[in-house]
Formats: sequence, C-alpha cells, structure tokens
Amino acid sequence: MFADPAIWGFFFEGVRETIYISLVAVALSFVVGLAFALGRLSRKRWIRWPSIFYIEGLRALPVLLLIVYFGLQGSALFRPIFGPDFELPRFWAGVLGLSMYTSAVLAEIIRAGIVSLPRGQTEASRALGLSHTQTMRFVLLPQALRLMVPAMMAQLTTVIKDTSLVGTIGIFELFKQGRTIYTQFFNPVEVLLIVATIYFVICFALSQASRRLELGHVPRAARVKIQDIALRDQAA
Amino acid sequence: MPGEIAFEFPELFFTGLWLTIQISVLGLVGAIVIGTFVALARVSPLVPLRWIGGAYVEFFRNTPLIVQLFFLFLGLPFLGFRFSTDTFESIFRAAATGMALYHGAYVAEVVRGGLLGVDRGQIEAARSLGLSYVQMLQHVQLPQTFRSVIPPLGNIGIALVKNTSLASTIGVAELLYAAEIVESRTFRTYEAFIAATMLYLLLTIPLGIAVNALERRMLVVR
Repeated sequence: MFADPAIWGFFFEGVRETIYISLVAVALSFVVGLAFALGRLSRKRWIRWPSIFYIEGLRALPVLLLIVYFGLQGSALFRPIFGPDFELPRFWAGVLGLSMYTSAVLAEIIRAGIVSLPRGQTEASRALGLSHTQTMRFVLLPQALRLMVPAMMAQLTTVIKDTSLVGTIGIFELFKQGRTIYTQFFNPVEVLLIVATIYFVICFALSQASRRLELGHVPRAARVKIQDIALRDQAA
Repeated sequence: MPGEIAFEFPELFFTGLWLTIQISVLGLVGAIVIGTFVALARVSPLVPLRWIGGAYVEFFRNTPLIVQLFFLFLGLPFLGFRFSTDTFESIFRAAATGMALYHGAYVAEVVRGGLLGVDRGQIEAARSLGLSYVQMLQHVQLPQTFRSVIPPLGNIGIALVKNTSLASTIGVAELLYAAEIVESRTFRTYEAFIAATMLYLLLTIPLGIAVNALERRMLVVR
C-alpha cells in the first residue's frame, strides 16, 4: 500500500486541506477576536457585557459541539440572508465552528497583552491629546500584538490540531483522509501512526518556532494569564 | 424554557451528562498520576528518564486527541490488545485512558514547573541531612509543589471536561452524543444543542469560577 504514490497523494491532499482550514480559521478568528477584545475593554457597559458573554460563553463550550452544530444547522442559519435554497459548504461550516471558539480564545490573549502594558503608556498618550481610539490604534495595539505573537502562534498550533475535529462533519482534512484510507486497506495502526507523525512534525516545528520568537519582554502577569488560557482552552 | 428537550429525553441527556462526569473524573485522576510520574522523570538525574519524559510530553501534546482516541479504540485491537470483551466498557475505558494520556502530558509540564519552583535550598538541605532522593521527593519537594500546581491543574480539568466531547466520536454515549442522537431522531437541532450547551455550561462555568477564585487565593509566585 505504501509503495503506491497515489496513497501519499491522499495524505498530501489532507495536509493541504488542514493547513488551508487552519489559516482561514485563524485569520477570521483574529479579526473577530480583536473586535471582542476591544469590546471587553470598552467603558460602555452595553458593549462590554455582550463581549464578556460571548468570550466566556464560547470558551466554556467544547469546540466539537460548535463544529457539529454548524455542520447540522449552518445552512438553515444563513437561509434568511441568502435565500431559501442556500446550502452552506461544509468547509465554511467547519471554519465557522472553529473560528467562533478560537476568536474567543484569541480575544482573551489579545486582552491579556493590552492589559499588561504599563499604565503610563495610556496616560501619556491621553495626556498628549490622543482619543481612546487613537491610543488603541497607534500606541497600545502595536505593542500588545507584537508581544502576543508567540501566544498566537501557539494558538495556531492548537487550531491545526483542532482541524482534526472538522472531519466529523465531512471535510476531508488529514485525519478524515486517514480514516478513509484505513477503512479501505484495514491498516488503522499504520495509517494512524503516519497521521500522528505528520501532525507531530507540523505542530512540533511550530511550537519550537513560537518558543524562540519573542518580540519584546512579556510581563509576568501576562505570561501567567497566557499559560492559564493555553491550559484551559486547548481543545484537543 | 430553552433546554426543555433534555427532560423529554432524560435517558439520553442526563445519562450522557453522568458519563461525561465519569470520564472527566477518571481522566483527570489518571492524568494527574501519569503527569506526576512523567514530570518526576523529566527532572530526574538519570538522563534516559529525562529523554523518555520529554518524548512523552512532546508526542502527546503535538498530536490531536482524536487521533489518540481512535488509536486506542481501533488500533489496539489490531495489535491484539482489547480493553474489555464488552463493547461499551471497551470504548469507555479507551476514552478514559486517552483522556488520561493526553492531559497527562499537560499535567507533566505543570508539575515539572512546580518541582523546579521549589526553593533549591530545601532540596540541598534535605539531601545533606541524609534523606535519599526518593525520601527528599516524598517529604520535601512534592508536598511543596502541590500548592503552586493546583490552579493550573484546575485549568487542565476544565479543558478535560470540554474534551470529553471527543469521546462521542468513538461511540461513548456522553452529552454531545446525546444531542446528536436526539437531533437525528427529532430534527430539533437547535433545541437539542441548546440543551447540551446548557449542560456543558453547567459543568464548566462553576469550575471556571472556582479556578479563578483559587488563583486569587493562592497568589503563590508562579
């Protein structure tokens, strides 16, 4: 079986799908997560409370639940907008589920970064006449985001592992490809070990890179908060 | 009331909730035991042990949990090992073992941090007073690591409760599985999943509050 190059082609297609889903999900999650992080830091209660509910609510749920829900109900959810015959492609159902969860986690990571910056930064920029938005945009966010790059790379690693879950709704990422192969050839042990090794190589390389990449001194409080987030919200 | 459907199918939802709790507890206990041993291996003076511990942690952290679960459930029987003759028991034990092995890697990292955080003077004093390495671990180092290690262990516990949902993919009739079954029978997708969501929140939100309170209480320098 292993001499057949077509089989390795299948694995490669799975890896390609996995990477594609991960990148789209992380990009989407970053944008949404940034919005909710800033929302949670707002002084206006009507922005802050919904943000808190979104973040804490989604963090408390299993990713698989979100993925399966959007897999089953995704099309129906978007029918009011796109018309009664709309079928949500499974790829986007998976990305949606994954992104909602990851956006909540990234929101917490970004918020940890912003909050860890010295208060003097905010005070100085406000004293110089910058508005709240300008302070965020030109002073706080550039620093916070640079500090949080290692944490976000670690989250990318987690997302890559989580793509193994979207196989349950029919997307042919790496793990699902593996299952397809071993149901045909009756060799789950070899196939699962190959799949595990591929995930290992990708994730190990990423985690080593994120460990070496430090774009600035992260204060201890933020470091502890990020470790807590990494432990509480790593989902498979 | 949202989630009412849980009372229409209590044998699915509440049995599922109970199974979720069972796997969580067994998995967490197993993870703590395995993790502590692996952490001790990683700080051991014996280099081969350190290497084995490191390999364990890196392997189980960088591979997806679902792949590990499928290996335990499908792959092991191919190699001759079965958890039990009864299918239900077999998948339950595979799930609990998978949870323990996977989260054990995270526990190992946390406990290792705790072990290294114990004041060096304590260890040196214990050894110079004539305690053997094992006695030093037992009476001096391990007791002091527990205090600093409990909040991160709480966080791992919360992640573990959420990760039990993956057991549904190998057939354990836990909470997510219950929602899927009810959905496939009644097509009331939203209701079924809201019920499952509320039951999961019932588990994870109090745990989250408890861990936050613990962290604030135990402000040991980490």
